[in-house]
Amino acid sequence: MTQRPLVEIRNLKKHFKVGGGFLGRNPKYLRAVDGVDLTIQRGETLGLVGESGCGKSTLARTLIRLYNPSSGEMKFDGEEIATLDQKELMPFRKRMQMIFQDPYASLNGRMTVKDLIAEPLEIAGVGDEKSRTARVHELLEIVGLNKDHATRFAHEFSGGQRQRIGIARAIALNPELVICDEPISALDVSIQAQVVNMLEDLQKKFGLTYLFITHDLSMVRHISDRIGVMYLGKIVELADNDELYENPKHPYTRALLSSIPIADPVEARKREMEEMQGEIPSPIDMPSGCRFRTRCPLATELCAAQEPKLKELTDGHFAACHYAEP
Amino acid sequence: MSTQPLLEVRGLTTSFFTSRGEVQAVRGVNFDVLAGEIVGIVGESGSGKSITCMSILRLLKSNGRVVQGHAKFEGANLLELSEHEMRKLRGDDIAMIFQDPMTSLNPTLTVGEQIIETIITHRGSSRKAARQRVVELFELVKIPEAASRLSSYPHEFSGGMRQRVMIAMALSCDPKLLIADEPTTALDVTIQRQILLLLKEIQSRLGMAIILITHDLGVIAEVADRILVMYGGMVMETGEVNTIFAAPTHPYTQGLLASVPKLRTANKERLRPIPGSPPDMLRPPIGCPFAPRCVHAMEICVEQVPPTFDMADQELHQTKCWLHHPDAPKNSEDAA
Repeated sequence: MTQRPLVEIRNLKKHFKVGGGFLGRNPKYLRAVDGVDLTIQRGETLGLVGESGCGKSTLARTLIRLYNPSSGEMKFDGEEIATLDQKELMPFRKRMQMIFQDPYASLNGRMTVKDLIAEPLEIAGVGDEKSRTARVHELLEIVGLNKDHATRFAHEFSGGQRQRIGIARAIALNPELVICDEPISALDVSIQAQVVNMLEDLQKKFGLTYLFITHDLSMVRHISDRIGVMYLGKIVELADNDELYENPKHPYTRALLSSIPIADPVEARKREMEEMQGEIPSPIDMPSGCRFRTRCPLATELCAAQEPKLKELTDGHFAACHYAEP
Repeated sequence: MSTQPLLEVRGLTTSFFTSRGEVQAVRGVNFDVLAGEIVGIVGESGSGKSITCMSILRLLKSNGRVVQGHAKFEGANLLELSEHEMRKLRGDDIAMIFQDPMTSLNPTLTVGEQIIETIITHRGSSRKAARQRVVELFELVKIPEAASRLSSYPHEFSGGMRQRVMIAMALSCDPKLLIADEPTTALDVTIQRQILLLLKEIQSRLGMAIILITHDLGVIAEVADRILVMYGGMVMETGEVNTIFAAPTHPYTQGLLASVPKLRTANKERLRPIPGSPPDMLRPPIGCPFAPRCVHAMEICVEQVPPTFDMADQELHQTKCWLHHPDAPKNSEDAA
């Protein structure tokens, strides 16, 4: 791949200040994203998985500059966007959009569907009233609704239909990158597949690049080309989707994969009843060395003393573990 | 094992009376729970799975009412007990845990205090004995440093630990039936696995029956012995878990199983979703609730609610679908 990646993230950090002493002395920091390197190629779907609190949503929100990064570099289509101010960011905002988890909370109930979908067009100053209305109708068709829905309010729709409205809004400006933050978690099982199929169709049709964040480990395998596994603000493993599932190198990935409930009772009961010990530590007081060592079956003194680097073990397969072997 | 089921539910029908009209949440649900088995109830939001259990426990909101049917627990109809008798039964013979433990725990009392209180109320134990019992229960549910965690408040626990506290509380009076409503839905997958394994282990040690309500087919496949598949307030299909997953006979069950990606195989093939969306229970379809989304729907499906047919392959395997009527055209099954 000689093509320039759409997104290049280098040593990105996002720390939140939490409390601190008198007059803000000795402040503590929640290290939500703590040194992430990541590239996203144009047209691919990069899945990002991890437990709640691992920093996957913060990473996405920092990338789209809803949060300002604490340090590090973020290049979008070759241009540095980590340090741009709001005005300089405007041209980039059009090119990256986000689909949120909760289609009930993310759509303003007092706006009609037409206003909701036209809002990004208005903000970006695209077209006039007439052409925007035509675009809204077109977008409604694209996401499997119809133009009669345009005058209705979001609360009149089911969860699956609302998520379609959210998607129409996200693609209104023909973005290149769409960040999907748990886009199907709030939906019923029978509706999830409808939305995933639609996202795949849109990707083909418009050449979209997806950053797909989820805790649903079976859906992420289906939709992603590559998958990154996050733990306490760091990427601990990154590989092509099948490679990751068939050949996981990091003990955390292995534990995560073996925790997935399998929708097949025979298969589910055949496997060993293993469970991962303990719970995710606080991102305020992180363990020394490897962040996973407090729950890791392989942990040694080395892991407490030294933080493992994310290294490439085989072609395109990265893991951050002292004991991971190719 | 005696032949009488621990819980026998027949014709259970529950409605909510709202300003917009009658919401028919549960419509003629039948099932049994035998002593010591795990029965999974799976369904999407609005399918009536939670309301079924809330009806049995008599914990419906004030605008909800059981319109018809009975729920016999060890022979006594729960729906006819006095409020006093019911309160004695809840938390004693029948215990429950919910999705969000934080809303079920009193935030102003230590967790130890809350469980000690339950034990004293239900069992009349001395304080000291009750306290000892709570320590044992905390050890049973694997809360580290059990004795010292008694004096912690609910907010000092993580989500997974809080659910362990809830389980300990539910077990405090040796229930014969534990109703668990989405107990792992709010938890991360690694913690979910810990809690599911814990529930299974406790079930096999203490021998109680469990009703596990969930929307997650994976969770059901992992732990349930028998399952009920609910849709539109009705039981669409019921049977042993292996039978239902290997050879589902109801188009809804088939559709549900087909719409989740298979984890173990490398697949980029397209998902097969169920078209349409779930029914509005203010105006449920006249016939089969699934008919508007069903690829096999016939004329009769739209007009009449199907009866429940016994399947030949397995005892207790039943399907509520016109396709299994003896006179139904057989070829329509092929497509599934």
